Amino acid sequence: MLENIKYYTSVALYYFKLSLQKQFEYPAMIISCVFMIPMMYGTGILLLYFMVHNFQPLGGWSFPQLAFLFGIGYLSHGLMMVFSVQNWWIESYVLRGEFDRMLLRPISVFFQFTVTYINFIGLVDVMVGLTIFLYSCKLINFVWSLHNIITIALVIIGGVLIRSSIFTIFCSVAFWTKRSESLFLLLNDMMERTTQYPMTIYPYFVQFILTFIVPIAFISFYPACEILGKDGRIVFPLGISVYTPIIGIVMFILAIMFFNLGLKKYESAGS
Amino acid sequence: MAFLEVENLVKEFIVTKKKEGLRGAVSSLFHPEKFKVRAVDDISFNIEQGEIVGFIGPNGAGKSTTVKMMTGILHPTMGSVKINGISPHKNRKAIVGKLGVVFGQRTQLYWDLRLGETFELLKRIYRIDDKMYKDNIKMLDEVLNITEIIDTPVRQLSLGQRMRGDLAAAMLHSPTMLFLDEPTIGLDIEAKHSIRNFIKQINERCGTTVILTTHDLGDVEQLCKRLIVINHGKIVEDGPLNSIIERMAPHRYLVVELASPHQNLFHPYAEVVKTETLRVWFKFDKSRIAATELISDLSKTYPIRDVSVKEPDIEDMIREIYKKPVIS
Repeated sequence: MLENIKYYTSVALYYFKLSLQKQFEYPAMIISCVFMIPMMYGTGILLLYFMVHNFQPLGGWSFPQLAFLFGIGYLSHGLMMVFSVQNWWIESYVLRGEFDRMLLRPISVFFQFTVTYINFIGLVDVMVGLTIFLYSCKLINFVWSLHNIITIALVIIGGVLIRSSIFTIFCSVAFWTKRSESLFLLLNDMMERTTQYPMTIYPYFVQFILTFIVPIAFISFYPACEILGKDGRIVFPLGISVYTPIIGIVMFILAIMFFNLGLKKYESAGS
Repeated sequence: MAFLEVENLVKEFIVTKKKEGLRGAVSSLFHPEKFKVRAVDDISFNIEQGEIVGFIGPNGAGKSTTVKMMTGILHPTMGSVKINGISPHKNRKAIVGKLGVVFGQRTQLYWDLRLGETFELLKRIYRIDDKMYKDNIKMLDEVLNITEIIDTPVRQLSLGQRMRGDLAAAMLHSPTMLFLDEPTIGLDIEAKHSIRNFIKQINERCGTTVILTTHDLGDVEQLCKRLIVINHGKIVEDGPLNSIIERMAPHRYLVVELASPHQNLFHPYAEVVKTETLRVWFKFDKSRIAATELISDLSKTYPIRDVSVKEPDIEDMIREIYKKPVIS
């Protein structure tokens, strides 16, 4: 067990190192990074500015509460952009036969696919999310107790897992159909529109679907409801924020199973 | 039990036929015309450890599909593959660690990074310990001069150098079986020579079984003791190269140069197929008369200045095999 963890970690770390080296191989990349860091903060603050001036209370949520919800959602979005953006490209991996090489190596294909690319540009999104989140914490007088910090950390990790699992599942459809781009675009839009606003502004059946079928509501809405003491319409026993990491893990396992099922249908590409 | 067993292997692909024009596109959307294509049609063979087997066939014959099924990339529609008794489809991770695979048209090397980085990654993935890694790099340096290019970014390597890098990457974990899909494609004579030398060397030194698909008959002549010819998804020939030549082309040609013009040349076991003023082509069957016998017979009766024996052209022979209709 310990041996296995050591093995997978050493492989993952080497993949990360190669990802970093690859992205820094081109000088333009380094230059753009120098500009990127101030830009990261700039975008976040600019976005905040617009939000402060344009957001009206929505569905009974005040601006600080909306910013909190948005912040949690955007943080998990940013982290997903860093660690599992390659889910979006399963289609082109399938079309170009890129899984061939992974299938030839004595280690899980899903694992290789997951660690094969780390998108450092995604850090821009993380910074934007973090800025908005911290600012909203100040507005709602968030108490930085150990319990709350752990809760937030678990919610964000769970959110990242739910997001990337949903993309894995939907984009893996390409194993059967060769195409999944339109599905992905639809999903991406849907996720953006549903994690940034309170579910209570949508009809009940939409919330029902986004809770029990595609559990997007657990990424930011239910945790924010719990922490802010808002009414989330659907009531769960125990603290709701416990559900986010659990659902995250369950979704992740389902995603791996679905991916592996698809891989059996994989047809490579002619050479 | 053979080292690699392929039994009744079949691979079918479903192809959708597209109709012409916008109307066709709409009608294809509602009534897609689908039909099955058998890329590999019920093939079986065994390969023993230490063999070098050439796998040849025209484009689209099913070579690559077969190689992809043997290595576990593609799942067969029917039939089975067993390497060392283990199926790469049911137990992928247990077997692929013992295989090395090189696709000539596609590199596994990290394009932007120095060659050594890919090696280091593979070292971790295949759990190669330091000693084995060092020994293998040393061995690969002897046959492929790998240290000469190990610090060069892959994108700056020539095609021949890149192929050397790919072969080395496939051999780092000392696989017992090496699959090479068109390893000499697009290479110059010198690079081809060094690749062929490498294949011979690792087969002799490490006992590695090699399966090679190629369009280059030079590869086949110089490397393969056994040849499998596949066409339209079926095996049309399987055996030692020599015996295939014997069977396909039992005839040789004897070209005789006469000292003076002569009419009506004749021999009971050879047939005159062509005559130029002083040159005569005799076609004879090796099993009926030996070349030496024929020469001595002829020289007794005719004024002969020079003779030469023409071996059959492998390329012509292979073309004949490709043209043969497949009986199904």
